[in-house]
Amino acid sequence: MLRITLAQMRRSSGRLAAAGIAIVIGTAFVAATLLAGDVVTRTTYDSIAARYADADLVVGATIEDPVTDVAALGEVDGVDSVAPMSASYAELSAGARSVFQTIIPTADDRLMPMVATVGSMPTQDDEIALPQDVAERLGVETGERINLNRSVPAEDGSWEQVTVRPVVVGILDDPYGAYSQTGGAAVVDADTFATWRAEENGGEVGAEEVAVAVSPGADVAAVQAALATAVGGTTDPEDARWVVPTDERAATVAASLTGGQDLVFLIFVLTFAAIALVVAGLVIANTFQVLVAQRARTLALLRCVGANKAQVGRGVLTEAAILGAVASVAGVLLGTALGQGALWVAGAMDLPVPLPDSITLTWQVVVIPVLVGTLVTVGAALVPARVATRVAPLAALRPADAPSASRRAGRVRLVLSMLTAVLGFALLGLGAALGTVAQEPTFGVLAGIAGGALSFVGVAVGAVFWLPKVAALAGRLVGASGPTARLASANTLRNPRRTATTSTALLIGVTLVAMMSTGAASARTSLTSALDEQFPVDVEVSSSTYDEEGARTALSDGLRADVSSVADVAAITDLTDVSLGVPDIVDPDGEPVSVDFTALDPGAAREVLNAPDHIDGLAPGTALLGYTNAESLELADGDRLTLTGADGTATFSVAVNEVEPYVNYLAADDLPQVQAGTVVTDMYVALADSADAAGTVATIQDVVSDSGESAQVTGIAVQRAMYDEVIDTVLAIVLGLLAVAVVIALIGVANTLSLSVIERRKESATLRAIGLSKSQLRGMLAIEGLLIAGVGAVLGIVLGLVYGWGGSAAALGIMGDVTLTVPWLDVTLVLVVALAAGLVASVAPARTALKASPVEALAAD
Amino acid sequence: MDTTVFVPVTDTDTPDTGRLAVRARGLTKTYGSGEAQVRALDGVDVDFAEGRFTAIMGPSGSGKSTLMHLLAGLDSATAGQAFLGSTEITGLGDKALTRLRRDRVGFVFQQFNLLPMFTARDNITLPLELAGAKADREWFDTLVRTLGLDQRLEHRPSELSGGQQQRVAIARALIAQPEVVFADEPTGNLDSRSGAEVLSFLRRSVRELGRTIIMVTHDPAAAAYADRVVLIADGRIAGEITDPTPEAVLAGLDALRSLEGPVADDAAQAGA
Ligand SMILES: Nc1ncnc2c1ncn2[C@@H]1O[C@H](COP(=O)(O)OP(=O)(O)OP(=O)(O)O)[C@@H](O)[C@H]1O
Ligand SMILES: [Mg+2]
Repeated sequence: MLRITLAQMRRSSGRLAAAGIAIVIGTAFVAATLLAGDVVTRTTYDSIAARYADADLVVGATIEDPVTDVAALGEVDGVDSVAPMSASYAELSAGARSVFQTIIPTADDRLMPMVATVGSMPTQDDEIALPQDVAERLGVETGERINLNRSVPAEDGSWEQVTVRPVVVGILDDPYGAYSQTGGAAVVDADTFATWRAEENGGEVGAEEVAVAVSPGADVAAVQAALATAVGGTTDPEDARWVVPTDERAATVAASLTGGQDLVFLIFVLTFAAIALVVAGLVIANTFQVLVAQRARTLALLRCVGANKAQVGRGVLTEAAILGAVASVAGVLLGTALGQGALWVAGAMDLPVPLPDSITLTWQVVVIPVLVGTLVTVGAALVPARVATRVAPLAALRPADAPSASRRAGRVRLVLSMLTAVLGFALLGLGAALGTVAQEPTFGVLAGIAGGALSFVGVAVGAVFWLPKVAALAGRLVGASGPTARLASANTLRNPRRTATTSTALLIGVTLVAMMSTGAASARTSLTSALDEQFPVDVEVSSSTYDEEGARTALSDGLRADVSSVADVAAITDLTDVSLGVPDIVDPDGEPVSVDFTALDPGAAREVLNAPDHIDGLAPGTALLGYTNAESLELADGDRLTLTGADGTATFSVAVNEVEPYVNYLAADDLPQVQAGTVVTDMYVALADSADAAGTVATIQDVVSDSGESAQVTGIAVQRAMYDEVIDTVLAIVLGLLAVAVVIALIGVANTLSLSVIERRKESATLRAIGLSKSQLRGMLAIEGLLIAGVGAVLGIVLGLVYGWGGSAAALGIMGDVTLTVPWLDVTLVLVVALAAGLVASVAPARTALKASPVEALAAD
Repeated sequence: MDTTVFVPVTDTDTPDTGRLAVRARGLTKTYGSGEAQVRALDGVDVDFAEGRFTAIMGPSGSGKSTLMHLLAGLDSATAGQAFLGSTEITGLGDKALTRLRRDRVGFVFQQFNLLPMFTARDNITLPLELAGAKADREWFDTLVRTLGLDQRLEHRPSELSGGQQQRVAIARALIAQPEVVFADEPTGNLDSRSGAEVLSFLRRSVRELGRTIIMVTHDPAAAAYADRVVLIADGRIAGEITDPTPEAVLAGLDALRSLEGPVADDAAQAGA
């Protein structure tokens, strides 16, 4: 039987290869993920271990009871040198530039991770060595002096700044990334360091950790024991004082640093690998389904000559196992190559973290993907294998229809999938309601996730029933356009199961992509509108000094002009703060109250505000009151309000601001009626949409500080840009990971098409004989590809939008009105990619189909 | 080889109408090369008159199908010329050949070759659709009535009997009113009654609808429906019988066999 299986595999090798690629990609994904997880762990460990340089042992103590006499440890037998693992911090400055820097003491070469590339390590108390990029940032070279500011406690308990001016004697490199997380470390002489630390801590302090280099040739274990005795500890790291080998210590620190986050990362990425494998499984299932159908005759013949059902089924499964194993091994190889390639590229990119030169192949990296890949392949072939056992021996004698799974199972499946889908969508709706109406995001999100997962299972499992109907509808639409399209749509529908599986594979990826894009877009919009409400303008520049009367001073015309001429500043508008009396309303003491107003030009302000509804209702002759203020003044829309200023009294009609509680606005044109000679105290600045917010805000800040005026620059632009960037980055990563599933599904589309073409060889020949031109045949297959891919993509997008909205409503409802956004760009992109891939997928099958000469139509088979 | 024939053939065999639908001159086809080379057709000269029903007969492997493929523009000749009406089809490009097959030639296959996903009606009108032409209602009705398919138009091929499927295939071949219909063993997959039905339809379409039909067959009874039988052996025209009867055809075939026994055997083996 194995011989027959192998022979059949050889005959179908082309067909199996395409399916195998799906598994190759899926397992490569898994392998690369495992490798990446390993690299992350190792990089963390390496940079921790690097701090100990070439230390053999680490002595540790508690904060409460540190090792005070570090030098004494150096006297222990077999110890070459010791160095306390302490760091301090100081502000370094040169000219106008300053950096906050980690500082470590000098140590014996074997215990010093930093190396001096220019000059030397400091030896005097007025010397310092700087990391290269710090020296560059400060713009200093060796021989120059810098300011070093330390905070030391003063007599009265406050902190005092102490400045010294050490000379730079060395420029340092951090070859192993020991201090990469803190931007390198500056080095000062060990004695000086100890003195400073004593000053800063109000007395001599010991070290919590001491790195120890053992003399060459000494027995490390013996030294470890001797040191333990010397410090009054043991070799057990759980104890109060301990002495352990360096690598053990580094591993412990690395583990506590990542806090299991590396595992979270691994699980996160592996989830996407799992999705990719599910999609690959669908492609495999489809391929075997078709292979079994095409081999029905052969299988029946085998049954005729005495093979039993089990043998036939086992044959299919053996084939799957072989394919799975071969493809998985290829996948591991590909994944390993990709991992190594990525390391090379990253290594060449000069990242601050030194990455390992090569990946390490652990047994998990090899065994897990191969096992998973093989299992998925065999699992996917289970149904086709069962179908194969149903081929009756009789089928060898008559041209029977392709064997298929039983009808009864079909009905059960239909009912179950419908129930699951309905229940799932109900749960999703509940989640959205919980999030928006009940403001319970935690339960909302839980219900949303459960509902989403459940309904998607229902939708995917039931796809075989409804997807062909959708395809039929789409087919009818395109079919109206001509005979080629009609042929194509009829072809798409003749194997509903096949079309459904192929489209479902694509549906999964596209749904997730659309869901993530929609979720991200909704999150962005909701966040932005929440931010806009709190802070309606990109940047605000406010005068921060007061005159003798307690009124804020003016922003100069020059400053305003300078700010408005900063590149990427789109518009500015001036604001004037005034305090006006209200003669009609008195406080409990009988004094007329006064109310603060901000006067601005409503038209110009609307151009500048991110949320123009912030000043809705403001017009000349109107006083727009914050809703809380209006309430306390007992004023409502349409009431009359008389205001008195230094230069007159005027009556305004009241409008209540519905979004802003405290700020009251007047139109700038009305101001002279009550108070002339006012000054501009603030300005609102709008940035261009394309602006680099952080950079532009920094420039505005510079302009303000250069002006010498005291003004404060605030605004939401920087935060918004930061949020946007976080969302964009997360989205990009997630989409990148999902792309693998989409690619596999697209391979599936190509595979299905070529399988169909092989099956329809004779039919293509007939069509060519009765007058179908080559380009029409090509067009027919192109439309088939477009239909399969398009239906999967469009349905996926629709589902993704529903899920994205449901999820956003559940999670973001608490933030206020959830804006349901359609990420048009992403959606269009997904659709275009899917359609283009559908089109491309038809090219190779079309070439095969065209090889069938019309003569074949006449040949008997 | 001895070209002694049962009934002498002349190049100037002029049929009743006087016009020729299909002509072959020195038509040659070889397959393969070197040792394995097979000369399937060897300089065939033959004419087929318009409005006639011609059967091509000969031993298995004698080149009947090959001749038909070349005459219909399905395959390219190694040497010689083939004409459809006044068009020389040897040497036409794929585009021109496709258009020719669509507009001027009809096919009936042994295995029917209907498209399983289309109804009988759709199958019949498919060639017109491919050409982007409208079906001539009257002609369609005439065909369907003549072929007795009125009640079966909305059925799919899987719901039709073999004879009915072949009748649909004939309707499909005739719908575009082609100049010639080629049929390769159209009754090969049918029982004798359905076969007889199909053959009488073919004959009626020649007699009543004025079509030209060229049919390859192995069955002397089938050949007897034709107006004329062309005998072919070992890639050459070996004779012809006009107004054939089953007995005459049988006698003709026997004569061929006795003349070329060993060769025919070889060819039969090669064909098997
Ligand atoms: N594609 C091919 N490649 C090689 N040889 C071929 C090919 N097609 C036909 N032949 C050879 O050409 C010769 C004529 O074949 P053809 O199919 O025309 O015979 P036929 O008269 O139709 O036979 P049958 O009655 O069995 O259908 C045979 O010897 C056959 O082996
Ligand atoms: Mg033949």
